[in-house]
Amino acid sequence: MTQTRNLIDENGKRTDGRTIDELRPVKIKVGVVKNADGSAFIEFGRNKILAAVYGPREVHPKHMALPDRCVLRCRYHMSPFSTDTRKNPAPSRREIEISKVMREALEPALILEDYPRAAIDVFVEVLQSDGGSRCAGITAASVALADAGINMRDIVAACAAGKVDDKVVLDINDTEDKEGGADMPVAYMPHLDQVTLMQLDGVLTPEQFSECLDKAIKGCRMVYEIQKQALMQKYFGNELELKEEQ
Amino acid sequence: MSSSRRSAIIVEHLRKQQMWDAISKSKRLDGRDFGELRPLEIELDIIKKANGSARVKLGDTEVIAGVKVETGEPFEGLENKGALIVSAEVLPVASPHVEPGPPDEETVELARVVDRGIRESEMIDLEKLVLVPGKVVYTVFVDCSVINADGNLFDATSYAVVSALLSSKLPVFEMQDGKVTDTGRTQETPITTIPVSLTAVRIGDVVLVDPTAEEEACMDARITITTNSKGEFCALQKGHTGSFTIDQIKKAAEASRVKGEEIRAKIVELTGYGK
Amino acid sequence: MDGEQLPMQEIRRKYVIPGDKIIEGNFRPLSNVIRSGNMLIATRIGIAEVGRDGAKVIPLSGVYIPRVNDLVIGKIIDHSSLSWEVDINSCFSAHLPAQDVFGRDFSPARDDMSKHLAIGDMITARILAFDRTRDPMLTLQEKDLGKIPRGELLKISATRVPRLIGKRGSMIQTIEQATQTRVLIGQNGIVVVTGRNSEGTKLAVRAIRMVEEEAHTANLTQKIRALLNVPETTQEQAPNTAPPKSQEVETAIEEVEEELEVEKGEKL
Repeated sequence: MTQTRNLIDENGKRTDGRTIDELRPVKIKVGVVKNADGSAFIEFGRNKILAAVYGPREVHPKHMALPDRCVLRCRYHMSPFSTDTRKNPAPSRREIEISKVMREALEPALILEDYPRAAIDVFVEVLQSDGGSRCAGITAASVALADAGINMRDIVAACAAGKVDDKVVLDINDTEDKEGGADMPVAYMPHLDQVTLMQLDGVLTPEQFSECLDKAIKGCRMVYEIQKQALMQKYFGNELELKEEQ
Repeated sequence: MSSSRRSAIIVEHLRKQQMWDAISKSKRLDGRDFGELRPLEIELDIIKKANGSARVKLGDTEVIAGVKVETGEPFEGLENKGALIVSAEVLPVASPHVEPGPPDEETVELARVVDRGIRESEMIDLEKLVLVPGKVVYTVFVDCSVINADGNLFDATSYAVVSALLSSKLPVFEMQDGKVTDTGRTQETPITTIPVSLTAVRIGDVVLVDPTAEEEACMDARITITTNSKGEFCALQKGHTGSFTIDQIKKAAEASRVKGEEIRAKIVELTGYGK
Repeated sequence: MDGEQLPMQEIRRKYVIPGDKIIEGNFRPLSNVIRSGNMLIATRIGIAEVGRDGAKVIPLSGVYIPRVNDLVIGKIIDHSSLSWEVDINSCFSAHLPAQDVFGRDFSPARDDMSKHLAIGDMITARILAFDRTRDPMLTLQEKDLGKIPRGELLKISATRVPRLIGKRGSMIQTIEQATQTRVLIGQNGIVVVTGRNSEGTKLAVRAIRMVEEEAHTANLTQKIRALLNVPETTQEQAPNTAPPKSQEVETAIEEVEEELEVEKGEKL
């Protein structure tokens, strides 16, 4: 990746007006697909992503079932109209890989031993894509899993950090992803303090690497607060504290 | 190979009994009359990356359609016309009965029936979408994703396509030095008519429009009829294993004209087309 | 909710999502709670409760997981030559052996299973056996179990069933009495309402939907009474005037008492 223009101006502002420590606007709505057991819609910058969970349910075909735990299946898919040039609806190699890392990012949070011989299906549909759609997808999927009432050790929050104009910045957008220096998506369980997804493309010095990871984790913590708020809003309305009766 | 099989949804006998009780009082389980549609909601321009988009809710059935415009070669035999391609996919998010993977025959039928209604009505004046006759034309893709399935995917998808097209702005392409360039300007989509489909199902002796998933699971036969703005018929598809009498078909055709006019007015109102 | 000691009888509650710390210290993890070091962590969205016997989360979402002895309402979806397959609104379909219905001398060649129970029929059944290694097995060998002849069908989240039943069956009795209906509740979230007239049935359905939507809120009983136009005092006479209580209500009551509910807070 070679950079052709400055993506951070003299005031430290990025192409979309953010500072280097700022997230794009994030909105999450829980319970948006009526037929699903759990669902969430996330707007993460210009990403618009729908996540739906079905399960635990019976496994078809039956021989796919595991005797001691639940099968987790994930599909990340982009709608044909989600990208600048129309995307062929058939799954690409990129989507197949993201489906896999997404499943592996979610799996550590789920107590799959509680549902032997069953399956949980997670469908992530990108309706409009922007940079960081896998992180936004994981974030939405995790909320949808909690909405489905599946036993979880923690919520998974995801956010990327990266390098732009040789500076480490939070939450890479589309332009920065395409023109910037490095992109590091991270998924993280905030209570358990564990990283469940991490990828990197681009070159970072050892110092930048560690700064980038720290920044991504910080971003995940911010994303987590938004996830928590969205779930609380759906289940408890505006009452964030249960009134203690005396 | 197409083979007969049981519907994915098994309607409880208790529900069927209630459906029959309601039908005997000329009502349906959700309180509608036989000829009544579920509430229609249309939200436009939800996908900024598309040249036009719409999210349509017909009761609990929800469909998103996005228009993408590119250039390409014309179809064979249609050298002086732009290309229009309508596709539809029932996303696995939409219902517990959808499996991810290549489309099954019902989804293929859905895409083709919706495409036929739009194409045969000549909704878009494709002759206006030619850059170099016989060589380079506009290719208009309308892709639909069903995100919640509760029956009558045909009409919901068709209304989504129509709404997305009515509200779309096409990019202006030009030929410069033998190459296609996007001028960055946009133009109105050349609309000639507004096709509206209406789907009805027969359950026993009665014919109901806009069936829910539960009603479809009990249906004997289905018919989808598309009319244009002049009230002419432009496409039709009979589906499912049962049959219709001539009289039932004539009544369904008449309903598609009368109801179709109401729905057309509603779509024009909700999309603000022509304003 | 920190601190090691809780005074006798005191129960503390709060709203939680998965991963939330409920309490630190030597409390027993009851349901939907895991231990991580010295901490008890919630695994579901719901209402966490900490009492002297331990900590648990009353979940507000999730599919039904079968338990032996649960009374469930299921739909016949298929049958082989030896058993029916029953959809019990869970991650596993259940089996009802033909012998349970026809007796020991059942013969697949002679007895016509679909004459007894056909695809689409609804049944009330009890879960006879279920564990991690096999699908739930049902039985109809009990009074009041078997095919459901009529009624309005509803599906609610199984997590709302204890709330719908209410403490000692109070909620469901209030609804039944006020609407002149009988409400059959499966632990799996399937509910069948039968009434003398459609107005009563409709009202009962509305009340049930309201319980489902507002299960987490306080004063739910009062809200339901208001919806049904029931004066406050009827509650006390309940034991005498109540219609004969159905088996499933009885069973569920024991559970609600054990599962102690948010409702307790309301009255204080």
